[in-house]
Amino acid sequence: MLQVTDLTKIFKSGDTKVAAVDGISFSVAGGQFASIIGKSGSGKSTLLSLLGALDKPTSGHITVGEKDITKLHDHKLIQYRCEKIGFVFQSYNLVPNLTAIENVMLPMEFAGLSKKQRLQRAKQLLSQVGLDDNKQKRKPGRLSGGEQQRVAIARALGNKPKLILADEPTGNLDSQTGKMIFGLLHDLAKSENTTIVVVTHDLAIAGKTDRTFQLIDGKLAPAGARV
Amino acid sequence: MNPVSRGIRNAFRNSIRTFSIVVILGLSVGLALSMLVARQAVQEKIDSVKTSIGNTVSIAPAGVQGFQGGGEPLTNDQLSKVETVSHVTKITKTLSDRLTSDTSNLTSAIDAGSLGNRQAGNSGVGFQAPPQSGNRQSGGDSNQQITRTFTPPVIVTGINNLSNASAYGGDTVTYTSGKALDPTKDEDVAVVGKALAEKNNLSVGSTFTAYSKTIKVVGVYDTGNTFSNAGLIMSLSALQRLSSQPNDVTSATATVDSIDNIDSAVTAIKSTLGDKADVTNSQESAKSTIAPLENVKSISLFSLLGALVAGSVIILLTMMMIVRERRREIGVMKAIGSSNLKTMFQFMSEAVTLTLLGLVVGLVIGIAAANPITKVLVNNSTSSSSQAAPVRGPGGGGGVRGFGRNGLTSIQNVKASVGLDILGYGIGSAFIIAIVGSALPALFISKIRPAEVMRAE
Repeated sequence: MLQVTDLTKIFKSGDTKVAAVDGISFSVAGGQFASIIGKSGSGKSTLLSLLGALDKPTSGHITVGEKDITKLHDHKLIQYRCEKIGFVFQSYNLVPNLTAIENVMLPMEFAGLSKKQRLQRAKQLLSQVGLDDNKQKRKPGRLSGGEQQRVAIARALGNKPKLILADEPTGNLDSQTGKMIFGLLHDLAKSENTTIVVVTHDLAIAGKTDRTFQLIDGKLAPAGARV
Repeated sequence: MNPVSRGIRNAFRNSIRTFSIVVILGLSVGLALSMLVARQAVQEKIDSVKTSIGNTVSIAPAGVQGFQGGGEPLTNDQLSKVETVSHVTKITKTLSDRLTSDTSNLTSAIDAGSLGNRQAGNSGVGFQAPPQSGNRQSGGDSNQQITRTFTPPVIVTGINNLSNASAYGGDTVTYTSGKALDPTKDEDVAVVGKALAEKNNLSVGSTFTAYSKTIKVVGVYDTGNTFSNAGLIMSLSALQRLSSQPNDVTSATATVDSIDNIDSAVTAIKSTLGDKADVTNSQESAKSTIAPLENVKSISLFSLLGALVAGSVIILLTMMMIVRERRREIGVMKAIGSSNLKTMFQFMSEAVTLTLLGLVVGLVIGIAAANPITKVLVNNSTSSSSQAAPVRGPGGGGGVRGFGRNGLTSIQNVKASVGLDILGYGIGSAFIIAIVGSALPALFISKIRPAEVMRAE
């Protein structure tokens, strides 16, 4: 489902060039739960940005399904992100002025779903992640960290994406809530047949995923390398 | 929820900030509206002045000095040609004559006074026979010196148009009894000034004698000044007939359609009449009268532009601040599928909402302040320049009448009101402010890359 071939991203700072991602190739099958681990500055978040079409690679290819997203124009990339990708951020990044249900409806609005469809799907997803009716109408400021991350997961699932990219989804949560959120992601990946790629520091979480990729200085560590 | 409703809701995200922005913006819009209203009101006044004041050309026989004589009278035929001159809309013709004890049974309402006697002594006009006895003889020598007495004549004016107060020789005219005569009819009727009527016990319906004819009084008028209240008015044709001056006119006033065309009209009239007439106009006086209004117009224009720029800058800075503050939110929205256009549209809706709120406050301020601001601007401007304005009183022998205090009052009387057109301009300017003010922030929005949000995690 996800095929990454010789992917490189070089940042320039004056005369200095830094390869944040350096010739990475890997693949993840549909419905698999993969994790990317590595030290801070190893290029994990940059790789996730490239996979999510938020940034363009210097070279290499990313194929999602049958489509090479590195060849898409900007407006097609927006459509791709809207319909095929779901994002879950470490800091949840919910829109503070919107209620939980409105936040979940947001990507569906961008995809052009009718208000009725949006409302129905958002309610269903929020119930699925365990948020009751009362909390669905609350703004993020009145929800706990775990609840906000649930809303973020529901938002990521709004347009039934093929790929969910999660950047440290449990990073701001206590271990108990973190485990619960991770379990939720795992279950959703299975039930919705969605491919999930998670960036994490938590080796315990990484150990429970179908595949784990380790990044060291922008390069993929060989299989079996010590983490 | 669409971008518009999100933008509207976001406008109220921070109530204290929203309140502050709306108040400041309201002041700016209010000032802009007030200036717009002032400019419009002043422009209307200028247009009105241009078509009513200073758009007249005085035509007098060449070399004439009032009743001192000099020159040959103008004729109806000459003035008929003037009527055909381009931009001339009307010709008011007058024939002035003086009724003395020889030609009328009227007694003048004005005492000669020492000035009148001295003038009469020089001119030999209007004398009565010297008394045969009494203390008016001096000395006992053979060269008996006669002390002359002088009764000022009664001025009778024949005119073909009585639509303006200036025809009566005053700034205003009211009829204390009766009504105005029809100046186009050749009838032995007259309207008499209040002072003359009182002096001769005249009232509506009573008669007097002039040129050996009985003239009927049809109205008594009051202009507020003694000079013109001591005269009488007849139709031009009647006076021409009675005074045996069938084709003569002692002065005329040509009305031009606008002060802007007065120069060309004067040139054309001079060309038509040649050296037979002195042609003068009051354009300079009118221009000096309008000048303060033009100043107010300029001030209001610059203030209007200043207020609009200030409003745009307020919105610009506010939106820049908001965009900077919500940089991450914008990045996330783009990451989850919002296009640049939709994101910009949302922020523009927010800017428009804030501006429209400012407009509502501004309208209230504008409606309340427009008239007082306009009055202050006009009054300050006109009173500072009024000292230079020429004021001429009656007695000019049918010449140009200047702008007295009534004219200045009329110019200061500028009424400003907020109409639907102003409301339309207000809404239009609010949208311009919002669009101009959010253009640069919109550019910043388009530059925000969602990857930066991910990197900042």
